[in-house]
Amino acid sequence: MDAITVINAGINGVVIGMLLALPALAITLVFGIARFPNAASGDYMTLGAYAAVFTQALAGGSMLAGGLAAVAATTVVSLFFYAWVFRPLESRSNVSRLIASIGVAFALRSTITFFAGQDQYTFDLPLTRAWNFGGVRILPTDVAIVGIAVAALALVFALMHMTPTGRRMRAVADNPELAAASGIRGRRVMVTLWSIAGAYCGLGGVLLGVKAVVIPELGWELLMPMFAAVILGGIGNPVGAIVGIMVFSIAQEVASLVVGPAYKIVFAFAVLLCVLLLRPQGIFGRPMAAR
Amino acid sequence: MTQPTHLSRRDFLAASAALAAAGAVPGLAWAQAQAAPPFRLGALNSITGVGGPYGPAMLEAIKIAIAEVNAAGGAAGRQIQLYAEDDQTKPDAAVLAVKKLIEINKAEAVVGIWPSSVGLAAMPITNAAGLITMNTCGAPEMLTENKQGLAWMFQASNAVFGRAFAEVARQRGFKRPAVMAFNNSTFVGQANYFRDAWREKGGDVSAFTVYEPNQTTYRTELNKVLASKPDVISLSAYRPDATIILKEWFQTGQDCKFIMPGWTANEDLVKALGKEATEGIISISNVAAHEHQAYKRFAAEFRKRTKREPDIFASQSYDMVITLALAIEAAGARADVAAINGKIRAVTGAGGGEKVSGFAQGQALLRAGKPVDYDGASSRLDFGKQGETVPDFGVFDIRDGKLVLNEVIAGKV
Repeated sequence: MDAITVINAGINGVVIGMLLALPALAITLVFGIARFPNAASGDYMTLGAYAAVFTQALAGGSMLAGGLAAVAATTVVSLFFYAWVFRPLESRSNVSRLIASIGVAFALRSTITFFAGQDQYTFDLPLTRAWNFGGVRILPTDVAIVGIAVAALALVFALMHMTPTGRRMRAVADNPELAAASGIRGRRVMVTLWSIAGAYCGLGGVLLGVKAVVIPELGWELLMPMFAAVILGGIGNPVGAIVGIMVFSIAQEVASLVVGPAYKIVFAFAVLLCVLLLRPQGIFGRPMAAR
Repeated sequence: MTQPTHLSRRDFLAASAALAAAGAVPGLAWAQAQAAPPFRLGALNSITGVGGPYGPAMLEAIKIAIAEVNAAGGAAGRQIQLYAEDDQTKPDAAVLAVKKLIEINKAEAVVGIWPSSVGLAAMPITNAAGLITMNTCGAPEMLTENKQGLAWMFQASNAVFGRAFAEVARQRGFKRPAVMAFNNSTFVGQANYFRDAWREKGGDVSAFTVYEPNQTTYRTELNKVLASKPDVISLSAYRPDATIILKEWFQTGQDCKFIMPGWTANEDLVKALGKEATEGIISISNVAAHEHQAYKRFAAEFRKRTKREPDIFASQSYDMVITLALAIEAAGARADVAAINGKIRAVTGAGGGEKVSGFAQGQALLRAGKPVDYDGASSRLDFGKQGETVPDFGVFDIRDGKLVLNEVIAGKV
């Protein structure tokens, strides 16, 4: 198993990790600020992918129109479900909100398949050949995907650290009671949060659909790895989520060279187990409770 | 002195006995009319999930067959009652569905099962309940696990598919095949038999990779296979993973041909990938018996209802119901499921018999006491020892986005 194969596997892991970093970020933000795991994140991704496919078909092949429509659609739907489902349940335990989010996920997926059917869709993009740098293969599409993901992540970090809204969101994530006592309007923070969560899941879904195929289970199947990555990086920590998903994805791809494809998921979860055994709060997390 | 009460009591008893007898006569006639209870048929189809492209057509074919049987007065006077469930092409949903069919709907047979994962999951349950099941599953384990002889396979086993792939690969002059397969019972069987059949005639496969379902990318697995420089890859896949793999192969620019099962390598795959990436793919599938009268009549009715040609799976589903109905007719209205099961080989030609192509025709002959041999829409339905049939194989090439038939290999058990 030579270096070139490992590098190629690593590059693959980086690309997948980068595009999954967007919904992983959404999950960790919702967990940090709204304080529950949102199982509908996967199906927001699916919605984004489907919205982009249909908009691209209507807009005569424009991927940009598809992407923008996807982000817009998922933002609107995310805000809709916040207003209808998650806000009324704000005072309830996070388990009830988790279960409600599973219900939202099913409802969303069933609505999508009611209109779009169960069959797969693909984006209308020309197939390109990879650039070959002496054995190391890099695909132009992958470069675009990573570029878009990095830009989106930069945008959200700028928002979180350089704007007042971002500061308020971080305050609520840190200590909701103190934030409320300091006069931070919870409602506006939540609206911003759910808009970001929806938009980033939608964008992640589009990028995933470009890389793979658009099927109804697109997002739901990835919930487990994404939650695992978020926990690995420390729940509630945006940098942690990104580091977690990158570690997870790269580990998976490189592992399949060593242990075979059948065990690559096992290997990735084994990495997660080891890290959590040594550091239960995740790589960047703060200890939540101590005996 | 005669005591009026005693006399009247005797009279009363005689009168009530007569009344009871009179009451029983219409009761007897009523029981006679009740003598042919409906046959409760469960249909477990893959309406959603990976089998979604095929399930609804299979259910439609089952309905067409049931209508044909019921129009002829039912099988041995028993009208067929349909209970349809969706297995979502997933074994866990399938187990719930088949339990419902057995426990709530009291089904006596379950037909229309498409993927082996569902067939293998349902078989212990239907065997325990003593039900007949008919399916289009290909996993070799379906044959070995069919210990009670209650399961009937209408599609060639993937053992036969794998060997057919290897035979075609040799015929076309390939020297270095590699194998990639989706990790489930259907495709791992296909892959193993390809490798074994290839080794039999000399040589070995250059790579053998079984990949996990539902991944976003298969580039690492594909690179490992391509690194061994195969000239052809036997790709046992469903459409979503085949789309991803073929896309990623095309992007490497490496020259390689593919042999794939026909339920994946069809014009829908071309739609997903475009003509360039699918040019030259060899697609092998079971094909319906187009020259059989049963197929022609069934296809006409199917076309009328759905405006499409029936595929092999729909033809097999139609055959399942007709075969079952003929077996019920042969076994009689009072026969239990085991007796009906025992007649399935008899009505499909195990003991000779006149060739029939439809239920009404077979019913007439059976009532006249003559044996029948049903040649179905999907194949001649010659069942082997383990309940298996082998329909004909069609070897297609994808040329310029269209499936072009290259040759038909006759199926033999």
